[in-house]
Amino acid sequence: MISEETSPRLLTSVRNGEDAGVFMLEEGITIVQSVDFFPPIVNDPLTFGKISAANALSDIYAMNAQPQTALNIIAFPCNIEKEIIGSILQGGQEKVREAGAIVVGGHSIDDEELKYGMCVLGTVNPELMWRIDKARIGDILILTKPIGTGILSTALKAEFVDESEIKDAISSMCELNKRSREVLARYRVHACTDVTGFGLIGHLKEMCTASGIGAVISLSKIPFFEKTLEMAEMGMIPAGQKRNKDFASNIVATKGNIEPLILECLFDPQTSGGLLACVHPDDAPGALKELRNEASPNAEEIGYLISEKDVKIVVEP
Amino acid sequence: MKREIDARGLKCPKPVILTRKALEEGSDTLEVLVDNEAARDNVRRFAEKAGCSVSVKEMEGYYSIEIKGAGAKLQKEDETISMTYTCSIEEKKKDDSLKKVIFIKSDEIGTGDRELGTTLAKSFLYACTESDEIPTTLIFMNSGVRLVTENDETASHVKNLERKGCEVLVCGTCLDFYGLKDSLLAGRVSNMYEILSTLIGADLVVSI
Repeated sequence: MISEETSPRLLTSVRNGEDAGVFMLEEGITIVQSVDFFPPIVNDPLTFGKISAANALSDIYAMNAQPQTALNIIAFPCNIEKEIIGSILQGGQEKVREAGAIVVGGHSIDDEELKYGMCVLGTVNPELMWRIDKARIGDILILTKPIGTGILSTALKAEFVDESEIKDAISSMCELNKRSREVLARYRVHACTDVTGFGLIGHLKEMCTASGIGAVISLSKIPFFEKTLEMAEMGMIPAGQKRNKDFASNIVATKGNIEPLILECLFDPQTSGGLLACVHPDDAPGALKELRNEASPNAEEIGYLISEKDVKIVVEP
Repeated sequence: MKREIDARGLKCPKPVILTRKALEEGSDTLEVLVDNEAARDNVRRFAEKAGCSVSVKEMEGYYSIEIKGAGAKLQKEDETISMTYTCSIEEKKKDDSLKKVIFIKSDEIGTGDRELGTTLAKSFLYACTESDEIPTTLIFMNSGVRLVTENDETASHVKNLERKGCEVLVCGTCLDFYGLKDSLLAGRVSNMYEILSTLIGADLVVSI
């Protein structure tokens, strides 16, 4: 069991549910670090490289930080074609460059199963940093990308769909949260996280628990990628969804007529998902409009935060 | 006859893939064994969506999912008498040799509101991909060629149909007229002679 780190220079820790570890090196220089890697979720290696890099960079944006450098982490079987590895790394580098950062090295290791990801370093102004524990009652919840990538990746693996049928989801996973972050930074964001492996409810739960606050979300406002519900009906819900449900369903309460299958989809683990921001209610309409115009056409206001003695997420129709 | 599929130790979506394969191969009663709740729920959902009746039993360390399709032997729990259910409606004979052609001469279906018309065209092509009966040939003419050039979504449905064996002919004159010769996303360029002979030689032509 690892013991908790304490240091006056440690501003956040991933162990507290924050998206990245933030450390003040010295006055004026605060670094942000995060790491993520996983096996392929699409068939094309270049696309896989892009998705994996976008996913790793996302945690930096969720802190309102600027990515600076990245290290590749790659594991692959020794008999794999070298072109595949080359394409994956090329995809990763493209996204890192798009983020205004550079790949400074990496490490590869032998493994039966191919995996790729990155360790990313960014910098942040601690005064402007977005944490998960400062959300306020009345804040509006804005989600910048639709959900459903876990279900659709499973369906792709099972060949129930092909890549052309889920191209919106694939291109969304390749997209950086860079522009969304730039737009949101112009407004009063009290707390922010990105939606990835724990699913929408899991990441919302972390933010609510850290802030000591409850949330009400509207099922009808949550954007899903095309074919998500259809594939969920066909049994394409990934195993990770069950873990997410076990983690978070104890604080979920439903109100009104809620379609059970759609509720299940809220626990779907995401890859390279959008930002989930708690925005001051007066700023939310302007932020949403600009997000839709400049960064994320599918951004939605999905709910709001309430005072709760016991942390709860209420799901309404 | 009951077929057993042991999917214990397999990760999602493998249990569903094996279940689907067995049902496609014509098994009408399956017993699928899985060792985790995610697989249990997924297999149950898939089978129910496929129209089967499903019952799940929790065993020691695993789940047994019994799936019965149409025409399966029904067994009364308290007796060992079994009944075979036979449908009284005569089965419609599918003649795979019938040539069914869909002639698409516009990028919208019907006249009236254009937005409605183009939405209908999109839904129509999607419905074709979901249907059990794939057309033999699709012919695109006049503004219909936009559906296989400018529109990624409809083109992907048409590509899907091609993969399932549908032939797709796209009028070359029309592509030239609209300046879309280099933008073909599905099907192949054809000419009036081939299109005419395809239409005349068809057993069924649906013009939309």
